[in-house]
Amino acid sequence: MISSPFYRYLRGYSLDPGFSTRLDTAAINEVVYRIPFESLQPGPIGEYVEVIDFDPASGCWYDPVDLGDERIASQNGLAPSEGNPQFHQQFVYTVAMKTIRHFERALGRKIVWYPRIGEPKGKSDSVVDVRLSRQYVQRLRIYPHALRDANAYYDPDKKALLFGYFPAAEQSQGANYPGGLVFTCLSPDIVAHEMTHAILDSIHHRYMEDTNPDVAAFHEGFADIVALLQRFTFTDLVEHQLYASGGRLDRFTVLGELATQFGEALEGNRGALRSMIGRWNAEDTWEPLKPSPSDYLNNVEAHDRGAVLVATIFDAFQRIYTYRTRDLLRIATNGTGVLPEGSISRDLVHRLAGEAGEVAEHLLHICIRALDYCPPNDISFGDYLRALITADLDIAPEDETGYRLALIEAFRARGIFPGRVSTLSVESLRWNNPSFTPKENDAINWLADRMKLYIRELVETADRRELYKRSNKAQGWLNKLLMGEEKSFLQDSEWEAFLNKMGLTARPVSQLFGKDSSKVRFLRNGRADGTYTPRIEVHTVRPAFRAGREGRQIEQVLITLTQRISADIGTDGERKQMVFRGGCSLILSLGNLNLVEHVVIKNIKSYSRFCKQAAYLNGADGTAPSQSISTYADDDRDWRLNFNLLHRH
Amino acid sequence: MCAQASAKITMYRLFELGDCFLITFTSGAHSSRMLIDCGSFRNGAVSVSRLTTIVGKIQTALGGNALDVVVGTHQHNDHLSGFVHCQNAFNNMNVQQVWLSWLDDPGDPKARQIGDDYNNLRLRLAGARDSLHKALKGRTAARPMAARSLEVLNDMLGFFGAHAVGTPPDLPADAVKFLKTLGAKDPLYLRPGRTLEMPGLPNGSVRIHVLGPPRIENVEKKDDPLFKKDPSAGESYDAALASTTQQAARFLDALKAGTNKPSSEEEQYPFNQEYKRRRTGGGTALATIQRYYNRREDSWRNIDDDWLQQAGALALWIDDFTNNSSLVLAIELVESGKVLLFAADAQTGNWRSWDQVKWQNPAVKTDDLLARTVFYKVGHHASHNATRVQTFEKVNHPNLVAFIPVHKQDPNITKTTNPWKMPATNLFKRLKVKTKFRVLQMDNVNPPECNPNKASVKAAWTSAGLKPKVTEFSIEIDVKG
Repeated sequence: MISSPFYRYLRGYSLDPGFSTRLDTAAINEVVYRIPFESLQPGPIGEYVEVIDFDPASGCWYDPVDLGDERIASQNGLAPSEGNPQFHQQFVYTVAMKTIRHFERALGRKIVWYPRIGEPKGKSDSVVDVRLSRQYVQRLRIYPHALRDANAYYDPDKKALLFGYFPAAEQSQGANYPGGLVFTCLSPDIVAHEMTHAILDSIHHRYMEDTNPDVAAFHEGFADIVALLQRFTFTDLVEHQLYASGGRLDRFTVLGELATQFGEALEGNRGALRSMIGRWNAEDTWEPLKPSPSDYLNNVEAHDRGAVLVATIFDAFQRIYTYRTRDLLRIATNGTGVLPEGSISRDLVHRLAGEAGEVAEHLLHICIRALDYCPPNDISFGDYLRALITADLDIAPEDETGYRLALIEAFRARGIFPGRVSTLSVESLRWNNPSFTPKENDAINWLADRMKLYIRELVETADRRELYKRSNKAQGWLNKLLMGEEKSFLQDSEWEAFLNKMGLTARPVSQLFGKDSSKVRFLRNGRADGTYTPRIEVHTVRPAFRAGREGRQIEQVLITLTQRISADIGTDGERKQMVFRGGCSLILSLGNLNLVEHVVIKNIKSYSRFCKQAAYLNGADGTAPSQSISTYADDDRDWRLNFNLLHRH
Repeated sequence: MCAQASAKITMYRLFELGDCFLITFTSGAHSSRMLIDCGSFRNGAVSVSRLTTIVGKIQTALGGNALDVVVGTHQHNDHLSGFVHCQNAFNNMNVQQVWLSWLDDPGDPKARQIGDDYNNLRLRLAGARDSLHKALKGRTAARPMAARSLEVLNDMLGFFGAHAVGTPPDLPADAVKFLKTLGAKDPLYLRPGRTLEMPGLPNGSVRIHVLGPPRIENVEKKDDPLFKKDPSAGESYDAALASTTQQAARFLDALKAGTNKPSSEEEQYPFNQEYKRRRTGGGTALATIQRYYNRREDSWRNIDDDWLQQAGALALWIDDFTNNSSLVLAIELVESGKVLLFAADAQTGNWRSWDQVKWQNPAVKTDDLLARTVFYKVGHHASHNATRVQTFEKVNHPNLVAFIPVHKQDPNITKTTNPWKMPATNLFKRLKVKTKFRVLQMDNVNPPECNPNKASVKAAWTSAGLKPKVTEFSIEIDVKG
């Protein structure tokens, strides 16, 4: 009997297809990707994704690739080709799985797509009471040729990625053939970017809600970070580019650009869609970008602000790389540490590339792992910095290689500061450890006892559908417990104080904001109502088993709790409904469920956050609308992100 | 020492979306007249008869005097339709000269090239609308995305007078053709940075400064900052137009392929014909995938019509482009220093370029003109993206007045789904603050808090030295020099 292999090897592009026609990059643009092996149906259709190659604009289909066919499997998949749709299918599958693999390794658990939520029945504007049906979605669907547009996006309603193709500009720019076709599904950056949107949505579904200027920017920026750092894990490519740039990351290399071919294909747009290190100035000279403490405040549009986040992480990457390679440079330069201009030794480049690859992978995993330490909704960049620091402290308490300090320096250099933190030290950035009273600890013990069985079931499950089912069961049970069944051992006021520590409340909305409550027009199912108590929703109960760079293993259980209220925030007699959420991400120790390691809250009782969100949605806070639907729409905001519009270039 | 000049500004009431302004200048014993745009959104009998009435009122207002200048700001129906429907009346008005933007200049190669691309794009989008209408066969409920795309195309084509399926989107272009022949003198094609004397008045009494549409010479396309749509980068001027036109061609080809024989280009797009498959039966791998896709319980994941949403992007693009091609004028009453700002439909791209205008007369400064602005013809019917915040915040005159050419009963604004939000809420709020409620809307109903008969508002008008006059067909103020 032959056991299944661990890996599948598939050929593909490391950069965009255009680089295969440039003499300097042709040799390194075609690489062999290594992804986890799984048995596949033609499509490819596997456990996580299904590629369906229907091209509705052309009114046709393309035959699905069968990666199990021995003629294909025996030569590491089809050869990269822009003119063969079957290679396109293979390639989107490859990059999709590569991205999923990075997330699963960093998170220490399986990715389960966010379920399909049914349409509310009856009153369609009900947002407080209605329990919506949820349907398990096994596979994300990928349509490689869905649009005739310079666009690609994640559609959260269809649980699908839609990729477009379009004619490049007539004028000759970059490596494009004028008027030739550009397929967005052949850009590893674009595929990784869209996959990241889908994965992020599966982890933090509420980040689809545009509640402050950082949320859309975070979605965009984080997706670019994953695409960018993933790039650096191709050591051949890194080696080649470091050789060309004399070992320095701050010089022009294609490594720091995203979606180069796409960017060059747009008329009048010189260079990549996004560039992290620098850009070509008017004199056609390449200049590195310099960070400024006003970068964060001055960039309010979603893409601009997202780019600030990417530049920050890339900056941290450069700092760590420089720190870690100083000794190599000294050895190579007789102790001066100053490299001569011109070519450098191949051996040195090889060692530098190895370091860069390792740093990139560590940093990518730090960035991903931090997601579990982020609040369940309304994220800000400052929250993310605190999540990065806390997550990394848990997994690598020593930080011998300076990752955390590099991150803090990079965030500070761009003026990204978390609120309510007195200093930018690791200790104060770390999320506070919760302090519970003895009675509250009793309550936690009591909850933990009742949850144990469910958690054990989850730990023993490998099948994703089963995970989903069991997690739902655990969520339902915890919901019952929190909604007040059998809590008699805590007084009402004690119970309220306990919930408050998790950003929640058990009181009616009329008391939500203390005396400020009277200024708010609360709604329930679209009608004025200040009497209801918001339900506590349990969104995830997930065990995670993680390993970090110091060889440390940690086992945790992640639980997300939220509540929502709705209110009328319209001005001048116009009515406008806003949903306001609060709650927390709880991180518990798996070995000792009674130990709450972290509580990351967005307080439902925060009136100032409520007002900020209302001003933002009304367009009254001076930020530019990030995604106006048309000239004839208003300047207020749609509260849900729309990637179709957000990705138009 | 120049003579004092004053300006009577008349906004004609069109009872739908549209712009029509007459300005009568007086300087001592001299007087002179300028008409800026004359059009309304629709071309039906009601609209035409209303425009005819209004053109009659203009004739009356001229009182037998010549119409010194007619300005056509940009190629949209709601600004130019009167020049098609009322040609005879205009022919009898003794028009001295027509002013258009440099984009209409037949002697300018750059303008010609842009004009060709623009013409093609417009025709392709009209073709796309007609094909989509045919394919949809009225089944709007079954295909909501296709229906929405059709609606967006119809909205956009309305601005080109092609409201009905099958009509060519040519009315505004025809109006420009007519305007080019209308004046006793040759038309002027204006570029930003130019300053003109108002004809018919003593030199130095009223000057007109051209702010837009932007034009920069000798700059690489990649650096042309002007027609970039704010905030997203990547849309530069004619190059982007060419690219969009090409994308529209592929889009139209796809729509047509459903009913006609596909073009030879379409046959090989995006892959060679040999790769393209229709429905297959039997046990092929593709048949399995097709069955999978067609499962009824999974129909929520289908993408048959998603690609049609590109229509919305293309429509928005041409709309932004046309609005940004607006001729923007700052009219200066020299002696008093007062400035009247007519922004046509200029959107952000046009506004942004004003900072970079190189004035022929170095004494002219954009910021200075803005600081002295006492009258603002609100850009693009007060849509949210047609008054650039950073620029408008430089307009701080204590006596500022704003006219909004919006009729709230326009069906585009009253429709229940996807209504146009004009005026935009936040802009309107800011206008009210800046003008101390001296905002007048074409319908003279909205908003109640700006009712000039209300005591506090009346006082504000008086303190600005103005008294608005509202009649059945016009709203008027007299800006004294």
